[in-house]
Amino acid sequence: MKPEKIMVRLALVLLVGATALAGAASAQAATQSEFEAAYRAATEAEQKASALRNQWTPTEAALEAAAKAAAAKDYGTAMDLARRAEALAEASVEQAKEQDKLWQNAVLK
Amino acid sequence: MTRAAKPATARRAVASLVAAGLLGAGVATLLSPALRAQSAAPGQALAFDRAKGNCLACHTMKGGDVPSTVGPELSDMKMRFPDRSTLYAIIDDEEKRNPETVMPPFGKNLILTRQEINEIIDFLYTL
Amino acid sequence: MKVAIATIGRRAAACLVLLLALVLPPASAEQRIDPAADQRAFQAYFRQAFPSVALNDFANGPYAVDKDMRKQWEEIMQFPPYDFALEDGKKLFETPFKNGKTYADCFPQKGIGIRQNYPYFDRQTGEVVTLDLAINRCREQNGETPLPYQVGDMAAIDAYMASTSRGKPFAIALPADPRAFAAYEKGKKFFYERRGQLNFSCASCHVQAAGKRLRGDILAPALGILASFPIYRSDWGSMGTVDRRFISCNDQVRSVAFKPEDELYRDLEYFLSYMSNGVAIAGPGTRP
Repeated sequence: MKPEKIMVRLALVLLVGATALAGAASAQAATQSEFEAAYRAATEAEQKASALRNQWTPTEAALEAAAKAAAAKDYGTAMDLARRAEALAEASVEQAKEQDKLWQNAVLK
Repeated sequence: MTRAAKPATARRAVASLVAAGLLGAGVATLLSPALRAQSAAPGQALAFDRAKGNCLACHTMKGGDVPSTVGPELSDMKMRFPDRSTLYAIIDDEEKRNPETVMPPFGKNLILTRQEINEIIDFLYTL
Repeated sequence: MKVAIATIGRRAAACLVLLLALVLPPASAEQRIDPAADQRAFQAYFRQAFPSVALNDFANGPYAVDKDMRKQWEEIMQFPPYDFALEDGKKLFETPFKNGKTYADCFPQKGIGIRQNYPYFDRQTGEVVTLDLAINRCREQNGETPLPYQVGDMAAIDAYMASTSRGKPFAIALPADPRAFAAYEKGKKFFYERRGQLNFSCASCHVQAAGKRLRGDILAPALGILASFPIYRSDWGSMGTVDRRFISCNDQVRSVAFKPEDELYRDLEYFLSYMSNGVAIAGPGTRP
């Protein structure tokens, strides 16, 4: 076997192992109440974006998918999605705040 | 097992690992050119995916069928961007470098993950 | 200790003054809003970027700036795809309401040849009124239910009214009313601020990248962009109003769109139409 093939196999084994461990950890870690807290945090961040009239569609999609996963009792997935939604919502809030001043620079003069 | 029949997931896994830097640069230098070309496949898929990189919307590049002229043509990338971190910074948040750019901040706005950006860079370096 | 407190007090006072200076708009804010100067700069930019395009031709968007697309368009225009809507619109416009009145009773000049004056700032209500909003208010005043925006009958009536105004240059008025200026400024901000996960402003595509190719499409210049609305868009396979375009633009940049005739959309339409004063109405139009 060529060295590169060995490396490929080794890499695969490592990856599969790591994924399995990570999956087990997140599934174990996320309980319903933890998901609910994360979902609440995401919703609150999204409300801030809404107040600034700057919501993003991917945030809405992530919130919806999180709720769906939670309804199917897949709290690991639901938790990940809620966290993603919160990060997206926060990024949209940041964008709105930055643009509140920056837009002036783009005006044709 | 023929090369063609090799599962895409395996190729993707290898590329991911390399891109994520889990095994460090050492492996990359061990890989033959053929394998390196293979490791660009996931990056190419991401670059062409309209929901992900969607590079073809704005850039003319090898593999696209209609020319786009919003951004510069993507070619000779290794020569133009010898420093990988420059290319990463452009994809991550070009507005930071050039406030007037129309390029979306793929990293900053969570359009692509770190790993996905690195996979795209692997692909861009084949152009 | 006392000295320390006094220092803190002074510092706090200094901070407060600084904060107030940042928060309060400068006294000259009103004066800095200069729509006429904005309009000159806006039109000069596009005239310079597209020196061979005549002012009225900007209404034709991508067809004005690309020869190949113009050829395709000329072929399409042998049988304009908006003709059915135009016919429907004329019928709808002329059909009396249950109370016997018609749309003509709601509008100046009986609604004929007035598209170029919309949107206008209504000094009574202190808000921007678009043609579509006026159409629905007319219906409600006459005891009819409002039409859904964006498509269908609304787009058809809008198309007919635009067709009677073809050739008349946009003549958007900005009355000397601080509320009108505020609406204009809000629309201007909306036009220039980046939105959505993709971080595009209206200006990113229709100013900075105007005339450039986005896959097969040519990005339309913002000047005159509303003059040929409503449009039949091949991509939609149907007619759409300004609301429909704003909503789909927002959606494309991954921004949650607002409801049709949202105050922000009306202000945007006000700003954008004012920028295009002098460009003749060419609606209804077609787009790829």
